[in-house]
Amino acid sequence: MFRRTRRLALISALAATAVILSACSGTPEPAATSTSAPDPDAILQVGLVLEPTNLDIRHTSGAAIEQILIDNIYEGLVTRTQENEIEGRLASDYKVSDDGLTYTFTLNDGITFHDGTALTSADVVASYETVRTDATVQGNAEFASVASITAPDATTVEIVLSEPNQNFLFALTGPAGLVFKTDDDATDLKTAENGTGPFTLTRWNKGSTITFARNDDYWGEKAGVAEVEFQYIPDFTAGVNAALAGDVQVLTAVDPNLASQLEADFTLTKGRTTDKATLAFNNKKAPLDDVRVREALRLAIDHDALIEAVGAGTTLYGPIPELDPGYEDLSDVISYDPEKAKELLAEAGQEDLELTLTIPSFYGTTVPKVLISDFNKVGVTLKVNSVEFPTWLEDVYTNHDYDLSFVLHVEPRDFGNFANPDYYFGYDNAEVQDLYSQAQAEVDPDKSAELLAKAARIVSEDHAADWLYNGETITAVSPTVSGFPEDSINSRINLADVTVSAEK
Amino acid sequence: MIRYALVRGALLIAGLLVSSVLIFLTLRVFPGDVAQLIAGTQASPAEVEALRESLGLNQPLFAQYTDWIGGIFRGDLGTSLLSGASVSEELFLKAQVTVPLGIMSLLIAVLIAVPFGILAAILRGRRGGTALSVGAQALAAVPVVWAGMMLIVVFSVWLGWLPPQGFPRTGWSTPGKAIESLLLPALTIGIVEGAMLMRFVRSATLQAAGQDFVRTAAAKGLTRTRALIQHGIPAVGLSIITVLGLQVAGIIVGSVVIEQLFTLPGIGRMLVADVGTRDLIKVQSELLVLTGFVLVVGFLVDLLHRAIDPRQREAA
Repeated sequence: MFRRTRRLALISALAATAVILSACSGTPEPAATSTSAPDPDAILQVGLVLEPTNLDIRHTSGAAIEQILIDNIYEGLVTRTQENEIEGRLASDYKVSDDGLTYTFTLNDGITFHDGTALTSADVVASYETVRTDATVQGNAEFASVASITAPDATTVEIVLSEPNQNFLFALTGPAGLVFKTDDDATDLKTAENGTGPFTLTRWNKGSTITFARNDDYWGEKAGVAEVEFQYIPDFTAGVNAALAGDVQVLTAVDPNLASQLEADFTLTKGRTTDKATLAFNNKKAPLDDVRVREALRLAIDHDALIEAVGAGTTLYGPIPELDPGYEDLSDVISYDPEKAKELLAEAGQEDLELTLTIPSFYGTTVPKVLISDFNKVGVTLKVNSVEFPTWLEDVYTNHDYDLSFVLHVEPRDFGNFANPDYYFGYDNAEVQDLYSQAQAEVDPDKSAELLAKAARIVSEDHAADWLYNGETITAVSPTVSGFPEDSINSRINLADVTVSAEK
Repeated sequence: MIRYALVRGALLIAGLLVSSVLIFLTLRVFPGDVAQLIAGTQASPAEVEALRESLGLNQPLFAQYTDWIGGIFRGDLGTSLLSGASVSEELFLKAQVTVPLGIMSLLIAVLIAVPFGILAAILRGRRGGTALSVGAQALAAVPVVWAGMMLIVVFSVWLGWLPPQGFPRTGWSTPGKAIESLLLPALTIGIVEGAMLMRFVRSATLQAAGQDFVRTAAAKGLTRTRALIQHGIPAVGLSIITVLGLQVAGIIVGSVVIEQLFTLPGIGRMLVADVGTRDLIKVQSELLVLTGFVLVVGFLVDLLHRAIDPRQREAA
């Protein structure tokens, strides 16, 4: 601790000297905000919780893999910002025809794969053809409406849809939109890569670290650090210890209850996410097929107290979070009212109700504890069944064998789950399904969002589920690091603009 | 002797085959599969089915079993369904933590058990001897997790001498740090296993004390204690080897728990993680290697015992 303070003092002194010197030489430099200049040879060490199971982003789902690989190693025609806005990446420009059917992309100049080969529109066509035709590839379903993918010339790609799809461009910001080299048999994607991004993969020490190096031949602006080392530390306390010991300069997904320990040495940021902490009701199973029971359960939950117990997050009373199109504040739909909950349960003839909550074990006990006590106050006994994730997938997700379930649904723009009666929520409402398909087919984004908002309100008024909170992610960033993203970092950590200043 | 070794070896192979079937079948009881895990919650049932097929998970059980066992006969432990990495490579990597941990634990156990066990035997009936016996009994009953937590509290939290968790990322290229991080976990297993072993050493020593050759030595004018140390204890050494062999199994089980507690990237933690992700081929091979290891140690101990102890040879 002492050494750190002294080092900081030294940095400040050096920075002050630098400012004075620059003033002497008369250059009109703005006052330095960081303590010293970025070091292009710096190594950035980032602590993360969840390690990808493999690196084959074409066949493996999950935030852990997208988070580090997309934009850093692999790139798509388009990408999304921290605010979930879509912008061009490999494509310098893109146009959507007025009928919403034809998408025309123009590629940037001089893009090369990490093995040195130039990327052409033929690679894009081949990559997207694979997504369209191979059901084992991630995003295959999102390409269902794609009619044709062609390359009129070496820098142009044209995609034609059979019907308008408002979500299509967004799907291209995910794994489905990434561009791989045509017929690249030399690269085993599970353990190696051949992307186009600003970093290359140097080493994966499973269970411990993944290392990236700056791609000095990158077609765009080169990355600000020479190397990035992701350290996977599944235990929250161990993560804090690693940060305090100086092993990592950035710690993501800080446990809110431990955050205060890092305050002295790190800047803590609270980032917005599209994590919807969803209390799923089995809408097809009695007694939860009764809307009065579902409403009673929602009324019984003190959402503010729950967020306080969890330590981070904001209230969310509907299926669409702030960062997605169609968001609307739905706090008028439900309030905390245990008395009314009791009345509704009595009305439904369910005064002595016993329900089971099936929850994947890694979510811990905070949420179940709060729910047990809240439900207890309205006469509902809650049993908690904590299971391994694969068991959850089989029992709840595949077989729909559950009463209540808790999962953080992290995917952006996943409202469609409430328009799919076969999804494990079992929520079946023709009006919602109709509004959702209209929103998908709508060419104008604003009108599409309006339709989504309308559908989302119906879902919330039907109490198809309860949204306990909208997750926030706490990141601890050392003062020597600048440009580290804040929002949506549990699905994307774009490191191209991150710099680390020299410590001496 | 050769005939005995052959029979014993055949038993070893039969044991391995039986355990391979048991391991294979028990794992199939688990709900949930790796294909669904890879595909995620946004995948359609058709996508999951396609993935399941490409992973070979929808083949009949018998075909899956012969596929796996056939590979092992060719020296191929298979590849992880999830990561596509070679299982043997990862086992080798993780063994660099678990094997040194096991050896250190065993050493600590022996260093505790042998002197204190003999001392307890010598002091039998006196206050010190009773205290040692009761202490060993109590320590042997302590759950490994609890012992580990107590050691963390004392040596890491209070004294700050040793790291409470983790293994240096640099691994054995910084041997000092690596040993430092293994000390507490090894002590934890070593103390508990050592306490169990100590009770055995004590009773074996006492048994030896009652043997004719010790009594003869005492009759020749040695004190009882000296007779025990000079003649009794060498005889005890032999039976300790057998018990140590059994102890190896206990240390493997202990390491699964301990690696979890101290977040050590070893075989035990890998096993727990792989069960959690239903990476069945990997878990199968890992369990078979561990079972095989215990069985082989048992086999070697039996042979060794027979080779050293003439009385057993006559009995056969």
